[in-house]
Amino acid sequence: MPEGKLCNRQPVTTLEQLQALLADKGGKQYYEEMNRLEVDAKALWDTIQRTCKSRIRTWLEICTHCGLCAESCFYYLANHKDPSQVPAYKIQSTLGEIIRRKGRVDNAFLQYTMDTVFAKCTCCNRCAIYCPLGIDTGVMASYTRGLLFSQGFTPWEMKIGSGMHRIFRAQMDVTTEDWVETCQWMAEETSEDWPGLEIPIDKEGADILYTVNAREPKHYPEDIAQAAILFHVAGENWTVPSEGWEETSLAMFAGDWEGCRQQVQSVYDAMARLRPKRMVVTECGHAYRATVIEGPYWAGLPTGKTPVETLHYVEWVAEALRTGKLKIDPRKKIKEPVTYQDSCNYIRNGGLADAARYIMSRIAEDFREMGPSREHNFCCGGGGGLNGIGRYREQRNIGLKVKRDQILATGAKLVVAPCHNCWDAIRDLEEIYRIGIRWTFLKPLLINMIEVPEHLRPREE
Amino acid sequence: MFKKLLFATTASPVCDNAAKVAFDLEMKWEAKLILLHVLGIPSRGFGLQVVDVRTGEKEQPSPDYLEWVTEELKTTYAAFLEESNARIVTAIGEPYREILRLARKEDVDMILMGAHSRDEEVGAARHRQVAGSTLRRVAKAARCPVVIVNRPCTTCWKLFSNIVVGTDFSKASESALLWGYKLAREVGANLHVFHAVDITAGGLTRPAGQTDLEQRIQEARRRIEHHLLPKIKGYEKTTVEVWEGIPYVEILKFARARQADLIVMAHHTREVDPEEAEMGSTVEEVVLRSSCPVASVNHPDKVADLL
Ligand code: SF4
Ligand code: SF4
Ligand code: SF4
Repeated sequence: MPEGKLCNRQPVTTLEQLQALLADKGGKQYYEEMNRLEVDAKALWDTIQRTCKSRIRTWLEICTHCGLCAESCFYYLANHKDPSQVPAYKIQSTLGEIIRRKGRVDNAFLQYTMDTVFAKCTCCNRCAIYCPLGIDTGVMASYTRGLLFSQGFTPWEMKIGSGMHRIFRAQMDVTTEDWVETCQWMAEETSEDWPGLEIPIDKEGADILYTVNAREPKHYPEDIAQAAILFHVAGENWTVPSEGWEETSLAMFAGDWEGCRQQVQSVYDAMARLRPKRMVVTECGHAYRATVIEGPYWAGLPTGKTPVETLHYVEWVAEALRTGKLKIDPRKKIKEPVTYQDSCNYIRNGGLADAARYIMSRIAEDFREMGPSREHNFCCGGGGGLNGIGRYREQRNIGLKVKRDQILATGAKLVVAPCHNCWDAIRDLEEIYRIGIRWTFLKPLLINMIEVPEHLRPREE
Repeated sequence: MFKKLLFATTASPVCDNAAKVAFDLEMKWEAKLILLHVLGIPSRGFGLQVVDVRTGEKEQPSPDYLEWVTEELKTTYAAFLEESNARIVTAIGEPYREILRLARKEDVDMILMGAHSRDEEVGAARHRQVAGSTLRRVAKAARCPVVIVNRPCTTCWKLFSNIVVGTDFSKASESALLWGYKLAREVGANLHVFHAVDITAGGLTRPAGQTDLEQRIQEARRRIEHHLLPKIKGYEKTTVEVWEGIPYVEILKFARARQADLIVMAHHTREVDPEEAEMGSTVEEVVLRSSCPVASVNHPDKVADLL
């Protein structure tokens, strides 16, 4: 069988295809079909020749196999220094081999490649800062995911996720109506306690265009309400777009570059339509990477930058604290030891470590750095889509050990994790290893700590 | 006054008493009944699996699984469903959020629930995502009355003879009063308007002096008579009573003394985190101890006709 009904080289573009995939519990049939999926070696080699830029080719060639990157990878550490977990090995034995064989590889080889670049690499890019030659295995693993996607070798959940983006321009089935309705609902519910609070939709020329993670409107709308409260108290002139509000990208994890482009384009279109001064994105790591760091390239923007200046949520909070738009009641600062999960995506790759430090200095009395921290922090263990892929649950859980030990070493029982995926990985970590910690986004913490100006307080009844 | 009802169930025995009331109301009031079961809590980050609310196990809510859960619900409520046209709805999400979502979408007249306690929501507890209790959060935000049935309620609602309304003079408790009145009028029940002077209020550790208390009781009585009773248009079966003590304890004692069929009160609070709200905690205090159902009314939407 050259291609399967569910597992094939075509991306998901219709609701029917999506539903068929979702009905295949756990991807059982999907993975069976994958075992019989034919490799189109010619197309693979064509794609490589077209897209494999000199940077990656050079990296593959100049690697001296010195092994200095080994200890930098949390998977290597979590797996008792298993040599097959050395970053250089992982990429040489997969992408390197495919190129050496000019794309003439078989099904088993592509499955091995998939299992490697998904379950042994979260594309956290940590190894790149330890390689003396600056070789970035994370970038290459991500590129390899793209090759695999074009051949139909992608984990079941990734196929679904990228399909969601192509159909809904969101990682979940949230329609424009659902989204607008949810914002209205949250405005209704929240303005009871916060008189005058609004969630303005499609307001042109606002100072801030706010965009989110689809899981917020879908399952956790109070996250939107909390953002609204903080903008309200800070006196911001803000809005959300009715379309182009989703900044996450499962398509990026999947390596579905066309899906990625479509997704970020919808956000950039919203910018063009509403002409905000700046955009602020919610507490999400990979979303920032997708929409702010990688997005401009997917969309072919010559500046390499988003059409309007974009801030991660931590940048906005840091700014609001610095300028006094948000004031912390000193009595309400966190007294207990607290640590911070530096996200690979907006801290290592986005360079926002200082913003996070500034926030912690204002809200916590006993802030404990993880060791290592900032740009050198380890991935939470759930990056690169790993949290959501059933096939690799076991490997993911082993990987969490590194984060567990880092947190334990701080002595803190509270972890601030302003990233949806980190939040989840840490939650899972607690479920599996029971180390007695709590974790939180920034928004709920801040709401309990800020001074509310007299005129914004609810009227006494 | 009950055209559309929402019965939110965990499908466990805790909800059995609420189920009886829900199906009974459907029949007696010829109402449309929606039975909602929130079956799984999703992750914050990407993932297709949810944590089953009852078992705490991870499940993928495929169409098959949803169907299986629906079948299970049908079996659980088989005896009731024989004479019912209830619509069964399952949902994925945090229970309180999904209950509020459906109640809003369907604009139901009342939400009925069992006293979902935290211990009982295994999945929720394990998932550690549901901060406050479902009950508290639903009661705070729902636009319609939320009726919590914890003990067997044997009296048919149409035969209710004593409805106790607790007031604390807040805006929300005005809605509670109006709704209690509306129901009392419809079924011909006595309406007991009750207030407890809170001897712990203001953080006083020492009980207020006796004369001061007397004054406060007089004042409360005056407020009820001058400000509240006119709103219920001189309903003749009304009594007024003011006691002192800890409000939730006093209302329970009073309800017992009057053999109340229903307690109606507001559980308003504007704390962002219902977990930390002082007032909010009385929802559970009253609900868990009350021998009759408790209606929490916090918004004027369902008494707009009386305003
Ligand atoms: S550190 Fe760099 S050069 Fe050395 S093995 Fe790793 S990738 Fe290759
Ligand atoms: S990118 Fe991260 S996970 Fe991947 S090999 Fe490098 S250090 Fe390991
Ligand atoms: S989940 Fe958080 S820490 Fe983990 S890779 Fe994503 S942003 Fe980085």
